[in-house]
Amino acid sequence: MAQTALTQKKSITLDWKRWIGVFPFFLFAILFLILPSLRLFAGSFTGAEGEFTFANIIQLFEEQAILDAYWLSIQISAATAIGGGIFGFLLAYSVTVGGLPKPLRSALITFSGVASNFAGVPLAFAFIATLGRTGFVTALIKNLFNINLYQQTDFDLYSFWGLSLTYMYFQFPLMVLIMAPALDGLKREWREAAENLGASTTQYWLRVAFPVLLPSILGSMILLFGNAFGAYATAYALTGGRLGIITIQIGAQIRGDVLHNPGLGYAMAMGMVVIMAISLMGYSWLQKRSERWLR
Amino acid sequence: MSIFARIRRIPFWSWLWFILGALYFLLPLYATVNFSLRMERDVIGFKAYVRAFEDPRFLETFLYSNMLAVLTIIASIILIVPTAYWIRLRLPEARRIVEFITLLPFVVPAIILVFGLIRIYSSPVTIPFTEIKLLQPLTTFEVGTDILIVAGYVVLGLPYMYRSVDTGMRTVDVRTLTEAAQSLGASWFTIIVRVILPNIRAALLSGALLTFAIVVGEVTLASFLGVPAFGPYLFLLGQHRAYEPAALSFASFLLTWIAMGLIQLFTGGQGQTTGAH
Amino acid sequence: MSYLSISGVTKQFGETVVVDNFNLDIEKGEFVSFLGPSGCGKTTTLRMVAGFETPTSGKILLDGADITDKAPNQRNVGMIFQSYALFPNMTVAQNIGFGLRVRREPDAVVKQRVEEMISLINLEKHANKYPYQLSGGQQQRVSLARALAIHPQVLLLDEPLSALDAKIRISLRAEIRAIQKKLGITAIFVTHDQEEALSISDRIVVMNAGLMEQVGTPFEIYNFPTTVFVANFVGSLNNAPAEVIEPSRGLISIDGVQFESAVDLNQRRKGDKVRVAIRPERLSFASEQKKANVVDAIIENITFLGSVVRIQVKIGNTKFNMDTFNNPFLELPKIGSTEQVTCSREAVLVLDE
Repeated sequence: MAQTALTQKKSITLDWKRWIGVFPFFLFAILFLILPSLRLFAGSFTGAEGEFTFANIIQLFEEQAILDAYWLSIQISAATAIGGGIFGFLLAYSVTVGGLPKPLRSALITFSGVASNFAGVPLAFAFIATLGRTGFVTALIKNLFNINLYQQTDFDLYSFWGLSLTYMYFQFPLMVLIMAPALDGLKREWREAAENLGASTTQYWLRVAFPVLLPSILGSMILLFGNAFGAYATAYALTGGRLGIITIQIGAQIRGDVLHNPGLGYAMAMGMVVIMAISLMGYSWLQKRSERWLR
Repeated sequence: MSIFARIRRIPFWSWLWFILGALYFLLPLYATVNFSLRMERDVIGFKAYVRAFEDPRFLETFLYSNMLAVLTIIASIILIVPTAYWIRLRLPEARRIVEFITLLPFVVPAIILVFGLIRIYSSPVTIPFTEIKLLQPLTTFEVGTDILIVAGYVVLGLPYMYRSVDTGMRTVDVRTLTEAAQSLGASWFTIIVRVILPNIRAALLSGALLTFAIVVGEVTLASFLGVPAFGPYLFLLGQHRAYEPAALSFASFLLTWIAMGLIQLFTGGQGQTTGAH
Repeated sequence: MSYLSISGVTKQFGETVVVDNFNLDIEKGEFVSFLGPSGCGKTTTLRMVAGFETPTSGKILLDGADITDKAPNQRNVGMIFQSYALFPNMTVAQNIGFGLRVRREPDAVVKQRVEEMISLINLEKHANKYPYQLSGGQQQRVSLARALAIHPQVLLLDEPLSALDAKIRISLRAEIRAIQKKLGITAIFVTHDQEEALSISDRIVVMNAGLMEQVGTPFEIYNFPTTVFVANFVGSLNNAPAEVIEPSRGLISIDGVQFESAVDLNQRRKGDKVRVAIRPERLSFASEQKKANVVDAIIENITFLGSVVRIQVKIGNTKFNMDTFNNPFLELPKIGSTEQVTCSREAVLVLDE
């Protein structure tokens, strides 16, 4: 049984023996990851009588409420991906190439490691304490600028923009954690070579730095998109299900068949998986491109 | 001094971004702490904290979540370490499939995973489109539900745990270590327990701490599977009370901070990232 | 009037003096090497000429103009980096044309110049490749072409060959020297490899711990080192402490064994402590030809180094290395036997302690 690594080339007939070692892993994956996913997949093609049908998938594209839910999710995810991406990049820039003192960089990276995990219920509570009706910043704005946030403006923490603002709390750090190493990968010699050849700082960024960083930046933004798209707990804790993003809809469907059509519920879930899969592929492809240059 | 050198001296924009970022991150924390200390009217005190920790259900659910975390970590290690080791040593061909599988949890976020888990295991497990029964519903047994949720957490932590262990093994080059140990006459058991495990300790610890941070605060799986975990408790608390949830939220932030700090300590700054829940 | 003049340049980082009073006048078309160990200040000096560091004091003049405080992108110098520093997002042609595009030269001019440069470095077939598709040697040639494309007044090379394989290093350094001569461009070459410096430079500046040890032609540096450091760093060397016996005759004693040196010792007195250096290849067996100095030596060890045979001997109480060319018909002495070893008076170098 104990063949060493060196004798791998032999025994084509004993092939199955080599795969024994990964069998537990595959079994686990099948039981608790693949089967559930397949269940949803199969369920989305199941009609009310248990027959095979495409009707659910079609309804996905026809039911306005569902389309709205997807669109809302996409909007929030895109908004926080772009906003999180841009500001996260600026933050990462400031502590790497931007020249702030080293201790600030450590502080930011460590904090980002923690903050990218700080989601769900505690995060929602924290933002309610900050920008809720009796929140700290709400009161501050009232005292300093005499503006009552909830009465005089359109602002509402429990809305699209409020949720987006809350999502940023883990989107910014995620962007920082990915971009900081990428920015480090910008070799100092590239800037010096560019200067030596007569380029100004702007020209260097436009012609060399940004093009080299672009795959990384885009890839990270896609990652941020996927991250926000699949989020549930934060949204639920903050808005209690009022904001009809797709994860909340699915949650409602799990609890009680609000759509009165289990197949449709599964189809909704599969729709999410498809969108996430596309993001993942986009991210992978961009990762490979950026690794080639930033090695 | 040249103009260029002078500009470099004061990175105005860098400071601006950093200060804005610091404000954004620190204000909510401050607001939470501030709020949590004001339970007694006009007094800055820890009453909210005392009340929160005194609640018997806090201890129940917190301990329960910790237990889940420990079980998840153990299960992950037992599942992943031998697999990663086997792939490195004997079956490099399986690497791509296994790595693909570890990427799947990204495509199947918690809400979708719990959806699938419930549907499969709350009814007798049948082969799709047929009537053939394989298993009685897991969710009818309490232990069954515990198994489900631990399995779910192992799945959610798969990407990070696997990558952590795999990187750890690559760094210490387990293949060479194994061959050296074999040439000195060590048995497989000795190799794994006395050579491999100690050397990937840092990776294991970092993966374990990350898993811990994820599991203790987790809400999605816990609430849909109906287990008495800390996440749902915190949520419920937020419906009825004001100050205690703030106190616990801040406490949980500190807890995460400590866990991450420990990871930094053990890995020398090579920490991992996770995403939203 | 020299073309490039570095006068009184000092660089300090806080308390540490990294370059101490560097003075050098370089003629147009000259190839000068800065040679020294890591940390001797050679790269820092080069970077001051390039504009990436500013001197704490001193001046740098290029063709009469003071460039000491000029920004790096305002000087007209071309720099080659050890790590090639090619822009990864651009092809070979685009990299080479970068400097011209930044100066907003018309397309036709850029195209023509790029073609010129590509044929200069013989990479016509690779014009549209990206850096990651090229070998180290090819990347460095592109880097050279890129720097030359903008018609720089000076070419600065920062250890350009250190990252390459030995064979490529040798062929590429010859190529660099040939191109430099052909274009008549002034060049400063930084290296820690003395063989490199000796083989391609017009003049060498040997540096140590921020100071200039010696400036001279390769021939001068090797054969007439003026300090112990230079003698040790350039080529291999036997050196030992010695005492002056008779200044007028140039007689010194290495731990009791007397040697006559051609060096003028009239400035010294009897009993002065000095350092004596003898190149291994200047020692030979007296059986072949007797020279001014003849001493007894015990053969300790014989090492075959390929084209050279190195014989370790003990003269008195001091160990010496003797190098002789390999020869299939060479008769080597037995280990442990005593032979007579000779060297000329000129071979005995006397240096300050």
